[in-house]
Amino acid sequence: MTDNRELEALVRRQLQASWTRRGFLGRAGLAAGMLAVGPGVLAACGSDDDSEGGGDGETERTESDTLRISNWPLYIDAETIPAFQDETGLTVEYTEDVNDNEEYFAKIREPLSRGQDIGADLFIVTDFLVARLIELGWLAEYDSANVPNKANLVDSLAHVDYDPERKYSLPWFSGFTAMAYNIDLTGEEITTTEALFDPKYRGKVTMFSDMRDALGMVILMDKGSLDDLTEADIQAAADRVAAAKDEGQIRRFTGNDYGDDLVAGNVAVCQAYSGDVAQLQLDNPNLRFVLPETGGLLFSDNMVMPTTTENIVGAEKWMDFVYDPANNARLTAEVQFIPPVQQTGEELEKIDPELAANPLINPPESEMAKAFVFPTLTEEEEVTYTDIYTQVTAS
Amino acid sequence: MRGTATGGAKRSRSAPYLLGLPALAYLGIFFVIPLVTLLKMSLSTNVGSVYEPTMVLDWHWANYSDAFSSYGAQFSRSFLYAGIATVLALLLGYPLAYVIAFRAGRYKNLLLGLVILPFFVTFLVRTLAWKTILSDTGWVVSLFDLLHVPMPDGRLLSTSWAVVFGLTYNFLPFMVLPIYVSLEKIELSLVDAAKDLYSAPWRAFRAVVLPLSLPGVFAGTLLTFIPAAGDFINAQYLGSAQNAMIGTVIQKQFIVVKDYPAAAALSFVLMAMILVGVLVYARVLGTEELT
Repeated sequence: MTDNRELEALVRRQLQASWTRRGFLGRAGLAAGMLAVGPGVLAACGSDDDSEGGGDGETERTESDTLRISNWPLYIDAETIPAFQDETGLTVEYTEDVNDNEEYFAKIREPLSRGQDIGADLFIVTDFLVARLIELGWLAEYDSANVPNKANLVDSLAHVDYDPERKYSLPWFSGFTAMAYNIDLTGEEITTTEALFDPKYRGKVTMFSDMRDALGMVILMDKGSLDDLTEADIQAAADRVAAAKDEGQIRRFTGNDYGDDLVAGNVAVCQAYSGDVAQLQLDNPNLRFVLPETGGLLFSDNMVMPTTTENIVGAEKWMDFVYDPANNARLTAEVQFIPPVQQTGEELEKIDPELAANPLINPPESEMAKAFVFPTLTEEEEVTYTDIYTQVTAS
Repeated sequence: MRGTATGGAKRSRSAPYLLGLPALAYLGIFFVIPLVTLLKMSLSTNVGSVYEPTMVLDWHWANYSDAFSSYGAQFSRSFLYAGIATVLALLLGYPLAYVIAFRAGRYKNLLLGLVILPFFVTFLVRTLAWKTILSDTGWVVSLFDLLHVPMPDGRLLSTSWAVVFGLTYNFLPFMVLPIYVSLEKIELSLVDAAKDLYSAPWRAFRAVVLPLSLPGVFAGTLLTFIPAAGDFINAQYLGSAQNAMIGTVIQKQFIVVKDYPAAAALSFVLMAMILVGVLVYARVLGTEELT
């Protein structure tokens, strides 16, 4: 495996020497050529595979002129990357190829399990996937000493159960998974999760197809908390959704694509992510977001580096850069999710006081009290629960 | 002299096989090998974690019986939707291909171009465009309302009809092009001969044009039905929560649940059902006449 990596590094250096925009095709061609010889090379050096695996050992201090970042669509502003490139002299290759945690996992699983490059030095995924990747030993540990701005991380996210010291991950943004509605169609403010099941909105409701995002709120409505979650809770919530589906209450199960139907006026009430609604309101000012009385979910998307990262040094510089309060405020003003950096609120005040007062970006205590974190599941729980809900969404 | 001659003969005999070699190698590597892997997986049990699966081939035939018993409804739904879409595409596509082949004159190429034009836009975007067209607040629904056309649940989008229309639209060119090709080849003097023998236009069509165009109809229906039966994009974006097709199930089993053996078994069952259907269909239409 080491031979292969050296070979790749050699080729990459060669390519970077003549790296221009126009040189891209040549580079792609060479990469394809390498892919073609890949299996042979891999087979030849596949024996010491095991010694590589795991993030429990020392992470190799890789460094390169390029930093390859994979992120979700519409999850960055226009200035962060140029500013970072100017400051560090690195070239950022930014790809918006994370559309769904499980789909992204399906894509990286095979190469990461063999210690092969996944085309990203740093990527951004949600809590539960970070927990799984740490468990699998596929994430690289970074050196906190090189990320002094890590100290700006808000206390509530500094010690999460899957990464108590934040050795592998740093939050990118947090947000609420709750509900959005079209006041023009509902004719009234929505305040409870029951609205999803209200016959008034029959055929005008969408729910998430993701087990956590869909069932979390329903369980909170029935049980008031997500502590001591059992299979019976999941089953009860799934049954409830299944019954609503059979009655024609639920129009569709959606992923990130719920926005189209909401903006078009096909949907009156739906499950939604907080930051999206701010952007969707530009297309339809009648849209509102609400954390229902019984509560919604609080999630975080996190920056992580795979064990195959080729630029851990650059990734640390990137994390430090976006954790600078001024930089973070600029980013937050565009993305409109909840920033994980303590001083962002003050900086945001300087850019746009109205945004700083927005409870979805800078949520007050009363709102935070209604936001629950979905507990980390064991593999067995995850499989069982997911299967239960998939029976509902795919039938 | 003699030696050279036989050498030449040998070479010409083996040449067609050699020419076929790249395609065979391609299919071998990218179709046969994955297919065998898939077959093996469909009969295996995952003894490892779902994230790092360790497949053991233990001839677990229950994967197949489970596929039938758990997802019978989605299979029949898929074949129903694909079947209706194929019939609709044929009803729309045949007359269109006929007009292009025999009546379009100098507009022939333009019309053919228009048939292919939607392919310049990706499948997903074309499907999403239908969401806008069929939207509850769109003009189609308003028009239907005005004309008192009954709609299930008072809407078009997120219904089984939207899925069927989407499938019909997305696969229509696959119906039109093969039929056009087979119609275009027809010697018009045969039709003239039929007319000379006092055949009515309809009879000339039935006795001459239709049988000669059957190879195109055969190819077109297969090219429409097979991908439509396995499709999951149309059901996902145009359908409702109750319209999941078997493609949706396979995708979910693979990506979300990560039950790879079940997903593989489902894929094989789908493939086998389509294969049997195609064989029966070929028998009925009579492959002998098609060549």
